[in-house]
Amino acid sequence: MELTVDKRWDLIDKISKQTVKFKKYKSTLKEVIGELTVKPLTGIPIAIAVLYGFWSVFSSFAGFFTDGFLVKLFDEHWLPWIQGAFPGGLHNWFYNLMVDVGHIQNGALVPSNSCFESFGALTSGLFVPFGVVLPAIFIFYLMMAVLEDVGYLPRLAVLVDTVLHKIGLHGYAIVPTILGFGCNVPAVTATRILETRKQRFLMMTLLGIFIPCGAQLGIMQEVIPEYMGLIILYLLFGYFVTGFILNKVFPGKTPEILIDVPPYQKPLTRNVMTKVWVRLSGFLKIAVPFVILGCLIVGVMYLTGTMDWLANLFGPIFTHWFGVPKETVGPLVAAFMRKDLAVAQLSAIEMTKYQMVTSVVLVSIYFPCLATFAMILKEGGKELLGALAVLVASTFIYGGLIHLIWILLGVA
Amino acid sequence: MDKWTIGKIYFGILGIVALAFGIADLLVTAGGSSFSLGLLEIPNDMFRGGWGGLVMLFAGLFYLSGLSGIKNLSEIHQFSKVVMGSILIWVVAGCDIFAMITGSIPGEEAWFNTLEGFFGTYAPPYPPAILLLPFSLAVIYYIKKGRLNE
Amino acid sequence: MKVLLMGHPNVGKSVLFNRLTGTNVTVSNYPGTTVDYTKGYMRLENKEVEVIDVPGTFSLEPKDKAEEVAVKMLKENRDAVVVCIIDSTKVERGLYLTLQIIEEGYPVVISSNMWDVAKDKNIQIDVEKLEQILGVPVVPTIAISGEGIKELVSKIKKAKSVEIETIVKKVGGET
Repeated sequence: MELTVDKRWDLIDKISKQTVKFKKYKSTLKEVIGELTVKPLTGIPIAIAVLYGFWSVFSSFAGFFTDGFLVKLFDEHWLPWIQGAFPGGLHNWFYNLMVDVGHIQNGALVPSNSCFESFGALTSGLFVPFGVVLPAIFIFYLMMAVLEDVGYLPRLAVLVDTVLHKIGLHGYAIVPTILGFGCNVPAVTATRILETRKQRFLMMTLLGIFIPCGAQLGIMQEVIPEYMGLIILYLLFGYFVTGFILNKVFPGKTPEILIDVPPYQKPLTRNVMTKVWVRLSGFLKIAVPFVILGCLIVGVMYLTGTMDWLANLFGPIFTHWFGVPKETVGPLVAAFMRKDLAVAQLSAIEMTKYQMVTSVVLVSIYFPCLATFAMILKEGGKELLGALAVLVASTFIYGGLIHLIWILLGVA
Repeated sequence: MDKWTIGKIYFGILGIVALAFGIADLLVTAGGSSFSLGLLEIPNDMFRGGWGGLVMLFAGLFYLSGLSGIKNLSEIHQFSKVVMGSILIWVVAGCDIFAMITGSIPGEEAWFNTLEGFFGTYAPPYPPAILLLPFSLAVIYYIKKGRLNE
Repeated sequence: MKVLLMGHPNVGKSVLFNRLTGTNVTVSNYPGTTVDYTKGYMRLENKEVEVIDVPGTFSLEPKDKAEEVAVKMLKENRDAVVVCIIDSTKVERGLYLTLQIIEEGYPVVISSNMWDVAKDKNIQIDVEKLEQILGVPVVPTIAISGEGIKELVSKIKKAKSVEIETIVKKVGGET
């Protein structure tokens, strides 16, 4: 037999009256601090402090491994060794693909002297994922796991609930958003905690377009640290503005949600390590093959002249509408495979600070990487088409808008 | 004077100092050149000076708002704000120390730093948060004491 | 035999799952981590028994995708024993889901989890009385530290399905 909802609650009421007693208790320091982190007046400063800590540890740790050791290992030891040891030379296509494409200096083709420029599958293809991205996302996932297990994340969700409602989402959307700063693949899966199709569509679209992943952050931190603040500011601005517009344009509801806040607790080391490992191994399995493949495809496109052809074809749009050099077409093609690779490529192109900011923003928003694309297809299906339309529109509008800002500021 | 009254004065002074350091951080960052006086060095960079300075300022405000009420410091809602003020200082100081450690080990050209360079990183002057760190630890004593009272 | 772990989001299902099976499962302190279910095996009287970590759900009327998965898992495993994990500080809410599962006719064991938090909040739960009323085993557990897990395992085979009328009668008879 099944009871009606009312009868069931009635029964529960009777049961609990006979079995559960709530005695008086004094609130503990842990609980009161829990309240402080949720109330806006005190919670927002705390959130600012937590983000500061997160960011500071992230950059110290990534800088320690990448600048301190791995750049030296790859540029001073690995690259010169393989340039000498690998058969062929700068005029051999296979050598170009695997080791070094070289670059033109004073009219002559010379070997590259860093793994950011060489673009071979065995040089940049290994340096980017292992030398730059791995330390970055390891520390990212580690801190994320600690914040989750301590119980800070649900409090952050409560705190940002009001703001996210303005863009058609609710507090829990902070979870896929922050996960997206690590990698969009688990973030797209996490959109399942949103109730309506509209919310899931909004979230996936915003994730795919505006949230730079850990790989990108890592590489930006490495090659253009001075512009990072600006770039992230632009992206977050775009996240909210686009979300606001989409929320108005697309029909559907944003239901209120009751957020359950667990007590603060000590994280279990094993739990944290397991979680970090599960997410890291996802990166190693998916991302590393894509980076190496990306190197090869980009190399082939350069060697066959396809890249020049594309650059000439799209060049006018790039120079006039976005105000960036036409050479950036190459990185944008590479961005389809891996965004980190694309940012690394951009760093090797000569351009002004403002053009650099514009082109990195473009790389970030222009297309979700192949892995994310596949994930959205799996999760959303029909939503993908809508997301793509939004994507094309926002790439053009946003890219043009940044150019316009530079023109107005008189720096472009 | 009982311990809570001493605490009230102590954290009041700490709060004012933290607040002042926070404001100084922001001013120095806005001014565009770093500032050094005795043991103290205020860095001029948007991240540590600007953002970190803001957190420092919040720490000061937390201390002061914990004391501003008419209620006694031993009242838990007031006391928790003092604890939070200390936690914010720990966050900033912890980040500063972590940055020092990660910066001290690798060398410029060689794999590892010279011994001299390694120890040199830890020599004064220090950023404000590290100077306040030892003083902020007093809160632990009060947390322990609060537990005993229950 | 299969064992399903069910309960609200964020009551420690996945931690408990880890304790029972020892496999690598990602556990989070925010709701919605287990959106796909996770499978593992535990030893019960020298036999390998399949354990499924079902995504958190508030009731058997699903509201989002994760809850849909949960209800589907339950319906697909008619022969399973269900371990209902409830938050000891919110017994009423947990009982709602538990009663629904009992009504569906599944044999149930209740794990009254986060027992330590309830103790901190000075909430007293009369376990024996609860067992007597519901007619199913109730075990206080603290999944994070592993307390009560052994007892829970030993009670799994004592799980049985109960007629909801019996419960109604027992409660009615004593008030």
